[in-house]
Amino acid sequence: MDGRVSLSQVAMRFGDFTAIQPTSLEIESGEFFSFLGPSGCGKTTLLNMISGFLTPSEGSVAIGGTDMTRVPVNRRPTAMIFQNLALFPLMSVYQNIEFGLEVRGIDRQKRRRRADELLELVALGGSGDKPVAELSGGQKQRIAIARALAVEPRVLLLDEPLSALDLKLRQHMRTELKAIQRKTGITFIYITHDQGEALTMSDRVAVMSEGRIQQVADPMTLYRHPQTDFVANFVGENNRFPGRVMAIEGDEVTLDAGLSAPLRGHSMTPLEPGDSATLYIRPEQWRLGAADDRCLPLAGVIQTEHFEGAWLTLEVELNQGPMIRAQVPQMAAGADTQVPLRVGSACRLGYSSRQAVVLAGAVHEPTSEEVVDVAATA
Amino acid sequence: MWQQLRRRFGGPLAVAIVSLMGIWLIAMVLLPQWQMIDYSFHPSLLPAERGGVKDVWTLANYATFFDNDIHLAIFFKTIWSSVLVTALTLLVSYPLAYYLAKVATPGQAALCLLLLIIPFWINEILRTFAWYIIFAFRGPLNELLLALGWIDRPIRFLNGDTGVLVGMVYAYILFMVFPLYNAIESLDTNQIRAARDLGAGWGRTHRRIVIPHAKPGIATGCIMTFMLAAGSYAVPALLGSPGSRWFTQIIYNWFFEGGDWNQGAAYAFLLLVLCIAFVSIIMRVFKVGLGDIAK
Repeated sequence: MDGRVSLSQVAMRFGDFTAIQPTSLEIESGEFFSFLGPSGCGKTTLLNMISGFLTPSEGSVAIGGTDMTRVPVNRRPTAMIFQNLALFPLMSVYQNIEFGLEVRGIDRQKRRRRADELLELVALGGSGDKPVAELSGGQKQRIAIARALAVEPRVLLLDEPLSALDLKLRQHMRTELKAIQRKTGITFIYITHDQGEALTMSDRVAVMSEGRIQQVADPMTLYRHPQTDFVANFVGENNRFPGRVMAIEGDEVTLDAGLSAPLRGHSMTPLEPGDSATLYIRPEQWRLGAADDRCLPLAGVIQTEHFEGAWLTLEVELNQGPMIRAQVPQMAAGADTQVPLRVGSACRLGYSSRQAVVLAGAVHEPTSEEVVDVAATA
Repeated sequence: MWQQLRRRFGGPLAVAIVSLMGIWLIAMVLLPQWQMIDYSFHPSLLPAERGGVKDVWTLANYATFFDNDIHLAIFFKTIWSSVLVTALTLLVSYPLAYYLAKVATPGQAALCLLLLIIPFWINEILRTFAWYIIFAFRGPLNELLLALGWIDRPIRFLNGDTGVLVGMVYAYILFMVFPLYNAIESLDTNQIRAARDLGAGWGRTHRRIVIPHAKPGIATGCIMTFMLAAGSYAVPALLGSPGSRWFTQIIYNWFFEGGDWNQGAAYAFLLLVLCIAFVSIIMRVFKVGLGDIAK
């Protein structure tokens, strides 16, 4: 079963508003693919174009190599799991699951057999005669999955289906969704604003912002090698150092960020000395003391300190520099370090140039006065 | 309820509200109805004879009805036509209500509702007269059809039931559209999308998802339209022909032309019984309770 999805130059406009900029993307058959982005970034619009609820203003959508751009929603080999699940409340569990089969004219016995198989798959065997209203949140979730799988879609579309569940159930359902996807081999396209969901389940993730795909990569690459400022900040946490390029050796860039020492990091894009660029260091990449003999550690004063079990989260004001966040292993911050970590005490934080990412372009960093202004007007 | 009223309005005001409701119910609804039923079981007498030997309980007024083939025919014709009016109104209103509730943008829906409501600021008699003019033998509708070449000579719309049916559908459409609109509007749009996504065409989506959800609204609309149609006087009087008389016209004639209130009361009571029976049947068919309809 070919569950490839190809978008070529699809764009969506509502009047003057462009919800999706022209976008091309290939999703492999059997892939668990996520669209990650804040609300209003266009991810749901994109999903609606794949399912057929929206016809793109431009470009084409193909599923399994067949052009689907003008095919109505009820004739597409896709099935959707809605954010509110949209189970049919006046029908029983069986009737819900069998709805898509009934539509396809499959006889009663076959329908029932298929429904029973699917109920087994989602671990709800024997509850077919229950009215939908009697199910718990997690059970409804599974019925929605079974109902969508019943029509044997090539592509399953999931529109933030876990957002209504409580944290524990949500984490459990992540594992379960991934397992179902592996078992069935169907292409899953998952929409979420929750990076935890996207990173844990997906084979690949497309990060979206303002109607544009910012980066498509596997979760690890996305986290380690963000390609845009938006991705660097939206996926995980980051400390930003805007500055000017001083020197380049291979892919290693030396950057003057106005701190006590120059910063070093690596860049995937070609840069010239004198270009403005931004260097990113994640909170967990800081080490107490020197981490890399090529990068001088930065000195600062600890402003706040939070003990979080395995981690100690520090907010450090760098000398003549910005406030940064650092997460250091609790073990490293323990008794064996010479300098006790206390609020108000000085510390030196090192990093490795291999881990620090440099992206072209300076990002405007709001000054502390601006932050105060924003707070006052809010 | 009494406790609630007293807490909110205080003792004296609560007494006043409850007694007003009581007076309304007793004086305006129960007593007149009782009087009518009482009339229907007595012969029509001169004022001097009332309370005399001739003033006895009798079923004669009802016997008149069952002995009169023409009246019986008109009675059943009225019921049948009212069912037809109800069905036609439902047929016209459902797509309209669906459009208003699920397809139109809020702006379009508001405009449409306004356009539907404005004609109802004009009184029913005048609106019916408008149809009288439109349907006239030399009226605009015939002129238009002639000009389009669809007919060779004018049609007498006002001769059969056409005029009455169209007039009534028009007169009562809002009583159908609003309950339907309310019911369909409360349906989660994702349910429609889910049905479509699972492969259902529009027909099946309506049959399996929208209509079952809208059932209480459909029942309410049908009951209201049927009651109004069966009890209508102005529309059949103006748009009907002698061949399409309504039962209400017979009742009217007994009261005001025959001067026989007792006979008229018996006829009116029969119509009331029939309407109640119809409502119960509809509720049974649609499997809805009084509580669903009050929603």
